[in-house]
Amino acid sequence: EIHEPEEVSVWFREGSSCCQETLARNQRFTETPVNMPGADKETDLSERIESFLSELKRCGSGAGSLRGSAETARETTALLRRITAQARWGNAGELMEIIRKEGRRMTAAQPSETTVGNMIRRVLKIIREEYARSRGSSEETDQQESLHKLLTSGGSSEDNFRQHFTHLKANVIEAINELLTELEGTTDNISMQALEHIHSNEVIMTIGRSRTVEAFLKDAARKRKFHVIVAECAPFCQGHEMATSLCKEDIETTVIPDAAIFAVMSRVNKVIIGTQTVLANGGLRAVNGTHTLALAAKHHSTPLIVCAPMFKLSPQFPNEEDTFHKFVSPHEVLPFTEGEILSKVNAHCPVFDYVPPELITLFISNIGGNAPSYIYRLMSELYHPEDHEL
Amino acid sequence: MRFCSSPAGGGKHNSGLPVNTENEEEEEDKLVEYFRAQIRGDPDVASAVAAIRSLLEFLRRDQSETILGLRENMTQAIRRLEETDSSVAVSSGGELFLRFISLTSLEHPVRQHCTQSSCSARAQPSIASLLADLSQCKNVMIERGELFLKKISLSRGKVGKLCHTFIKDGAKILTHSSSRVVLKVLENAAADNKRFTVYVTESQPDSAGKRMAQKLRKLNIPVMVVLDAAVGYIMEKVDLVIVGAEGVVESGGVINKIGTYQMAVCSKAHNKPFYVVAESFKFVRLYPLNQQDVPDRFKYTADILKTVKDLNQEHPMIDYTPPSLITLLFTDLGVLTPSAVSDELIKLYL
Repeated sequence: EIHEPEEVSVWFREGSSCCQETLARNQRFTETPVNMPGADKETDLSERIESFLSELKRCGSGAGSLRGSAETARETTALLRRITAQARWGNAGELMEIIRKEGRRMTAAQPSETTVGNMIRRVLKIIREEYARSRGSSEETDQQESLHKLLTSGGSSEDNFRQHFTHLKANVIEAINELLTELEGTTDNISMQALEHIHSNEVIMTIGRSRTVEAFLKDAARKRKFHVIVAECAPFCQGHEMATSLCKEDIETTVIPDAAIFAVMSRVNKVIIGTQTVLANGGLRAVNGTHTLALAAKHHSTPLIVCAPMFKLSPQFPNEEDTFHKFVSPHEVLPFTEGEILSKVNAHCPVFDYVPPELITLFISNIGGNAPSYIYRLMSELYHPEDHEL
Repeated sequence: MRFCSSPAGGGKHNSGLPVNTENEEEEEDKLVEYFRAQIRGDPDVASAVAAIRSLLEFLRRDQSETILGLRENMTQAIRRLEETDSSVAVSSGGELFLRFISLTSLEHPVRQHCTQSSCSARAQPSIASLLADLSQCKNVMIERGELFLKKISLSRGKVGKLCHTFIKDGAKILTHSSSRVVLKVLENAAADNKRFTVYVTESQPDSAGKRMAQKLRKLNIPVMVVLDAAVGYIMEKVDLVIVGAEGVVESGGVINKIGTYQMAVCSKAHNKPFYVVAESFKFVRLYPLNQQDVPDRFKYTADILKTVKDLNQEHPMIDYTPPSLITLLFTDLGVLTPSAVSDELIKLYL
């Protein structure tokens, strides 16, 4: 099946320089002979996937995350769009299989980077919806299991997605483009809600560095005067960078060590934090120190607001112990120069914390504000239950 | 399982309803016999499944001429079943079946128009025959009823598969009384080669906990029976609490054997997760705000309801656990937070 040349050439042009490098590095990955017309696209596709995977593996082992989740989400979606355009598939079922296979490899490369998995599930849901629309099914698009469905379904509801539709590819690519536009607008959508939540002369506390919270606070600072206290979030001390960045916008900022969180909390009006992932029960997987902050806020009855875009919502529950935590080198905690102690002491440096949903007051996402108990509903709108396990 | 020996013959309806004719009473007796036979034949079957199976059989034998007559007969039959076994599960199963009949009879006329335009792959050949008379409708009901029964018989397996991943290696689990769903979950976890210990409460007055312990020993799971009063004592040792449910109410709370509420309060105080496992056909349309709100007909066995005059002197067999104490509910519809339960019920009943 030959793909239309105009569609493909746009994406080729963007990545031509990196394509040269990866060609040299990944020569051994090419399987098809180079003189076939479809071969260039296939090898290019597999090279891009391999380079994406190796980048994922690399960024995880560095100190802190070197790229924001938004970039990861965007790159994943762009890669999935490329797979849809360039891979060989005859019907929706095959496409979903290909995406699932690549998705499993991507999530295995960096299990703590959940945005990759989330985007894959979004795209799988898009494919299902486009398929259902192409079939012209007038049935309700409610694909969740429900008591109602149990009672009223007649006959087998197994849908293998084996039918072929000519416009399916174009529809899916269009839908993925819409998803990409949505991804680009998330930070702005969240910042637009800042004025409703931040009032004049308030004291806001935050921890570490979250790009979403930074944009949120900067947007409010354009019209309101308030004070921000940043907990530095040892050992990587990203709170310092956050404070410098906020100061540039003329926001009064104070940096405090993590141990002072409880002491200062009585003077704080609101706590606004970002997170790495929002779990299916409404809990968080956030940077370490957040649980302390949440407990202190609960004790003082201070509202805890989490700014998290929708692509951070993951259908995982906090029970998977082996994939939940990520540990990095503890040389920030106990440097290697302290040689005598090292042989007698175990030093750990976990990156994430679990925050239970009872401690959270409000989630602000690009679609508005929600209570933690409503997360299950947002999840059912974004992902299909069969895709929870890739 | 709460049974009573029903007196042969009439005199049952003293609520102002018309007394059954001989024929109808015979049918209802047969129904009760069928129900009992189901329970006897397969002690592992959930009482709601047995009830729905019996009602489906009743539907097959029913001779009424109109949908309304059919519904009335069904309501009588369900009332009769509830007198035999007064648990919440039978009541919820019965109400679900009634809802099933209404939905099917409403949908059936609409389906005719659909089949003429776009023929979807799901359309059964029998529906395509477009006859709108009652026997056609009944055939559809019976077919769907069989399908529904098949699906819900698989629901316990689904719950087991969902829940056992939450049991970690080396965990200590506390459970209450005897629940077949919890047994299935622990079976799945054991089959997954996980090592865990189980503490079961004795659960007086019927010592159901001891039966549960025996079943667990057969599966080679280390188990210890504790007194009902020892729940507070043992709570610091356990990692999580898993209980079954006789009924899941609209607020997301559960109705279960007496002693469950105590266990939930203790686990909240010790910050231990409190998980409830239940199949979706146990969702019932009640909204109790406290223990008093649970109707008397569920609290006591059918025997006691019939013979005792002053219920205040009797000990209830069930209690209500509010949703604020429950961490997660595992159902065949997925893992739900208590607030998601009312969503499910609304989707079905409204």
